Amino acid sequence: MSSNTLNPEAYASLPDEMFVIGEDDSLSEEIARPSTTYWHDVWQRFRRDRLALIGLGVIVLMTLMCIIMPMVSPYTYDGSDYLHMNASPSWAHPCGTDQLGRDQFIRIMYGARISLTIGFVAAAINFAIGVLYGGLAGYLGGRVDMVLMRIVDILSSLPSLLYIVLIMLIFGSNMGSVILALCFTSWIGTARVVRSEVMYLKHSEYVLASRLAGAGTWHLLIHHLVPNAMGPIIVSTAFLIPGAIFSEAFLSFLGIGIQAPQASWGSLANAAIPVMQMYPHLMLFPVIAICVTMFSFNFIGDGLRDALDPRLKK
Amino acid sequence: MLRYIIKRLLAGVLTMVVLITVAFFMMHAMPGGPFSPSEEKNVPVEVLERIAASYGLDQPVWKQYLNYWNNLLHGDLGISYKTVGTVNEKISGHFPYSARVGGLAVLFSLLIGIPLGLIAALYRGKAADLATLALATVGISVPVFVLSLLLSYLFSSKLNWLPTYGLDSWLCYILLVVCLSLNPIAYIARQTRSSMLEALEQDYVRTARAKGVSELMVVVKHALKNALTPVITYLGPLIAGLLTGSFVVESRFAIPGLGYYFVRSISDRDYTMIMGIVIFFGLFVVICNLVSDILLAIVDPRVKLTND
Amino acid sequence: MNLLEVKNLNTSFHIGVGTVQAVRGISFHVEQGESLGIVGESGSGKSVSMLSVMGLLPNYADIVADSIRFDGRELTKLSGKALRAMHGSEIGMIFQDPMTSLNPLFTVESQLTEPLRIHRHMDKRQARQRALELLRQVDIPNPEARLKQYPHELSGGLRQRVMIAIAIACGPKMIIADEPTTALDVTIQAQILELLQHLKQETQTSIIMITHDLGVIASMCSRILVMYGGTICEQGNARDIFYDPRHPYTWGLLNSIPKVQDAPAGKLIPIKGTPPDMLKPPAGCPFSPRCRYCMPVCRAYMPPTTELSDVHRVACHLMHPHAPKITREV
Repeated sequence: MSSNTLNPEAYASLPDEMFVIGEDDSLSEEIARPSTTYWHDVWQRFRRDRLALIGLGVIVLMTLMCIIMPMVSPYTYDGSDYLHMNASPSWAHPCGTDQLGRDQFIRIMYGARISLTIGFVAAAINFAIGVLYGGLAGYLGGRVDMVLMRIVDILSSLPSLLYIVLIMLIFGSNMGSVILALCFTSWIGTARVVRSEVMYLKHSEYVLASRLAGAGTWHLLIHHLVPNAMGPIIVSTAFLIPGAIFSEAFLSFLGIGIQAPQASWGSLANAAIPVMQMYPHLMLFPVIAICVTMFSFNFIGDGLRDALDPRLKK
Repeated sequence: MLRYIIKRLLAGVLTMVVLITVAFFMMHAMPGGPFSPSEEKNVPVEVLERIAASYGLDQPVWKQYLNYWNNLLHGDLGISYKTVGTVNEKISGHFPYSARVGGLAVLFSLLIGIPLGLIAALYRGKAADLATLALATVGISVPVFVLSLLLSYLFSSKLNWLPTYGLDSWLCYILLVVCLSLNPIAYIARQTRSSMLEALEQDYVRTARAKGVSELMVVVKHALKNALTPVITYLGPLIAGLLTGSFVVESRFAIPGLGYYFVRSISDRDYTMIMGIVIFFGLFVVICNLVSDILLAIVDPRVKLTND
Repeated sequence: MNLLEVKNLNTSFHIGVGTVQAVRGISFHVEQGESLGIVGESGSGKSVSMLSVMGLLPNYADIVADSIRFDGRELTKLSGKALRAMHGSEIGMIFQDPMTSLNPLFTVESQLTEPLRIHRHMDKRQARQRALELLRQVDIPNPEARLKQYPHELSGGLRQRVMIAIAIACGPKMIIADEPTTALDVTIQAQILELLQHLKQETQTSIIMITHDLGVIASMCSRILVMYGGTICEQGNARDIFYDPRHPYTWGLLNSIPKVQDAPAGKLIPIKGTPPDMLKPPAGCPFSPRCRYCMPVCRAYMPPTTELSDVHRVACHLMHPHAPKITREV
């Protein structure tokens, strides 16, 4: 601790030139840590989260595979190979074949296309609705805010699965109505986050300062509100993706989602139930695909949350 | 307090009105009514029309809507289109199964989730914390239908330790409760952990220590009570969701509960049943939310103010 | 007799990027019935040193001291249980922010009677009686009604009075007040200070007053420690610090107090620069990067403490016989 103290004799005999005021400015130390931009910081923190990086890698890989594999594979999702029905995993069929001799691997890849598309599209739509709705409520405030939030309260007080099931029944079972059903209430979380961020920022001093300096509404929105509210919004959107994928798999599992011969992970798992005892691989591979995807997205979400929360910065 | 309760109650009533109205008109927007010629091809059109008339389906929609409300206010959810009996009978017949399994799952979730989160927060960064976080990640990432598939495959089909379906012995409950509560446990443990960590850093916890309060009381009385308020908020939806039966778990394990029956009504297009169950779910959720709101206001006196 | 005697206290925090040396080898004492002021800007280690003495820091803090003696007992050797028995009974603490220092979920009564029930083993009725007395003692009107209320129903000033009532509940030998007035309105500040002074005269309790406001200290404290960068740079009687300060940092502090009599002509002189980063504190005197009189020796070595009188001590290289003789410019 006190390594830089001298004993009294040594101190008394220090040379005179040590006691000259104001010279030797070259030694003056840099006090502050190097300043970095916010997004650079975020990336640095995210990069250190190994699980999040692995998750990101898995999702990128899965996206590439589900785009490329069906193009280069000799099999199609509805093409039957009646010589190899219910086949176990082999070189020709890495995940085996189903009851109709369809290649399970390719069906899982098509399932990935559907799941990922639904995940990303639903998240994007929910993001857009949530930001608009929450931004409007937060920015306008007052009575408009009260009415908008009351609507949200009513919508969110019931399990979203109820709405989803009703919508699926009305619009029939296809990808469009799955997405529509998922967009019915999922944006509420984002809207709430955006609203509270906008409310908070609207009353914060630096926005007031900027307003006093003559900044217009658009300038405020683009230069202050959006970048500052971005962190929590991104995090809530990141968790929307696995939520949407989960809901789709769930609907297909119940038999009211994606319909045969199209395949989604949920319907593949559902179709495998009757033969689960004899051909467990038919169930295992789709289930593994779902789990790996859910884990990856949740890891990414957790990593983003930790990286975007500057309060954890030490 | 009374003012607060009345306010919450009114909000609940409003929610129900909206839900019933939306559900009613959605049902009527459904392509192909229950007795349309396209669905029942073997029955003469005149007979179908007569059946429809006996259900009041020949009247204008607004009149049907008012009728529905009238019956509803007398506690009558109508008659099932596709099975014998009234909707009320069906619900009261199936709900107890769901409630029993769901009640156990709620208890299990709280008894496991809260201590796990607490231990994780107190031993932050240690093995217990990492194990809890790992379990929580599994619980949040693995969908319940995947879990029920995997567990029933492993414990029932492969190992033959536990029965695959039914509710005949206590063994049957194990898989059910585990499947139903893993996700809530994960959520509760995560929430308890993070709000506990936050609470432990608060000034009032330091004040309690400066008063000479024992460490146990600091944690249990001063920090945990504050940390549990978000868990209480979650309690309403949790109880409602579990007690009204999980669609997936009940179908998977063939439990004659409300969730299972709901799925069947959907595939049967039994609209009065679907409506009835949706309304029952909605009412149950609204009541559970109301109870958890009141509970929250009792624990945290500030809530009454912010909601005014 | 010294009620509290601290020798060579070092406190550091281990965080992700390194170790923050918040307190670096400070020694001081508090006499019976004395009020000691500790001044310094945020991050100077004044609060951390007091929390270290109390053992109230989180467990990632590393506290090392040659000795911490309180009322004849060596605190560094006491068990957690024995320490807790002293907290709230022999040492009371008042914190900076009355808005967050009271638990929002418990009534005033519950929080105020807690130390009485723990340390004095009172039953509910006795504790309630004593709580009423305490609320009267800290000049809270209508104490019966206040007992039933929750913190959010009280104003900042009232909450701080409740905090003071909690601190004095068991008749402590010493009260540590950590910036007790900083978060309050100016008029309320004066009332709280008056109350503390009044209580001190009444009970002969020692008070350690931590603040960054020399004005607060001037009205309350007989002796003052000036802290900077985790070290004590100057200490002495109030008279020494206000009329014969020797450390350039103390000069800077005094120059930055507004004086009513010489307004509007008088100019406030801010201290240039920012406090040191305690992750990498300067090798020599912690104030050297901001000091107008910085010499090569200041950057190389920590200044030794020079005793100017029994109580007046300065840690500055300007005290060295070879150093130029600088006097404070006002």
